[in-house]
Amino acid sequence: MSDMEAINISYRAMIILYALITVPVLICFFLKLGNVKQILIAVLRMTVQLAAMGLYLDFLFRFNNIWVNFGWVILMIAIANITVNRNSGLRTARMFLTVMLGLTISAFFVIVIFIFIAIRPEPFYDARYLIPISGMVIGNCMRANTIALERFYASIKKNEREFLTYLLMGATLREAALPYIRESVKSALAPHLATLATLGLVSLPGMMTGQILGGSTPIVAIKYQIGIMIAIFTAITVTTVLNLLLSLKVAFNEYSILKRDIFRN
Amino acid sequence: MVRFDTVTVSYGNTSIIQDITFGVEEFERVVLYGKSGSGKSTVLTTIVGAHIPESGTVYFGEEAVNKRNIGEVRRTVSCIGQEPVLGAEKTRDALLLPFSYRAHRGKAPPDEQINRILHDLQLDHEILEKDVSFLSSGEKQRIAIARALLLDKKIFLLDEVTSALDIESKRAVLQLFTSTPYTIISVSHDPDWFKICSRFIKIANGMIVEITATPDPAMYAVNGED
Repeated sequence: MSDMEAINISYRAMIILYALITVPVLICFFLKLGNVKQILIAVLRMTVQLAAMGLYLDFLFRFNNIWVNFGWVILMIAIANITVNRNSGLRTARMFLTVMLGLTISAFFVIVIFIFIAIRPEPFYDARYLIPISGMVIGNCMRANTIALERFYASIKKNEREFLTYLLMGATLREAALPYIRESVKSALAPHLATLATLGLVSLPGMMTGQILGGSTPIVAIKYQIGIMIAIFTAITVTTVLNLLLSLKVAFNEYSILKRDIFRN
Repeated sequence: MVRFDTVTVSYGNTSIIQDITFGVEEFERVVLYGKSGSGKSTVLTTIVGAHIPESGTVYFGEEAVNKRNIGEVRRTVSCIGQEPVLGAEKTRDALLLPFSYRAHRGKAPPDEQINRILHDLQLDHEILEKDVSFLSSGEKQRIAIARALLLDKKIFLLDEVTSALDIESKRAVLQLFTSTPYTIISVSHDPDWFKICSRFIKIANGMIVEITATPDPAMYAVNGED
């Protein structure tokens, strides 16, 4: 830990912060937006989820056991996997294994390089580095895969005739799928590319802000921020391509035609 | 050449075609006709494996179509619909697209061959530099046919291929399919197209109602698409 830790916020001060929420609640109430209940539930959910996170991070950091730490990373990947399938309209039961493989390979690829080779914490599996950095990488992979898989399968379903035309011109499944893979990967990368290009212009990135508050010098914080941005961009590129390619095996029948039962409805 | 033996294709619990049995000899030109939604197009696309039959067998030559030979079936057969998919921005790229696939790599046709085929289809060779989005339906269809000819396809599955064509383009297409012996299985409601076909298969509710050697006069009254 750094000598210059962030100033703790007292519980009394937390009450003041929570009281701040009455401002948006009152505004929404008088504008009759009909979302006051929703706001209160959302704040409650955030509190419970973050409290749980605080507890388990505290546990992980204290325990700092290699198996628990890597087990936690795998658990995060599994949750991301289920979320990807649910949000892209695909059946988890059909796609779980390939998505798991695609996410695990790409996440570990950048974790090894960013944490084990570049940062080199002691021990290498130190929860303070492994858990938050993996979480950021996996969270971004989750969003990118959701976009890529949703776009890819929706567009093949919509353009069935076009896809069949490619097969009839002698394309293999992979060759016929390539134009759709290109489009889907591009869509998945687009928001991240935009973020990369404007980072630091509008707001301080979250990780950097946290580090500066935690006592790091801006230079150290910037190096971490650059590292994590590159790691995330690499991971999402690898994971989207890999997941689309791996999913071809389970989503198409022996005649290279899209199976309908991969969709939720 | 192509034979259906009691083929049933279903989607969910509904059968789209049921107990379809017929055969097409080499160089024969056959028409499937019937009301919209009767299953004619499904018969065509089942040949190229767009649907796996729930029961019955589709034969290609002597062999049943299966996962091992489906690639070969697809390389031999061309399937062209009313609005063909060209799959590229420029016409030339659309014509040469299949030659980017491993199956045809290194076999791209010389310009003379492309020009000859375009000429046969009464297309100007300037069309090669045009954006496909500016082509008319008739031009798109003839480019799809030209591409099939460049791939040396012998069997054509044609779905309402003449219905969107003007008289000139239609004449060129009819001329092309009669001047060279091709095996053709088509879906059509066009009396001019009937004239070049020798067998007429009427389909209703996914089943074959009758097979005749001359067009049924009532066919001319049928006004639907599948």
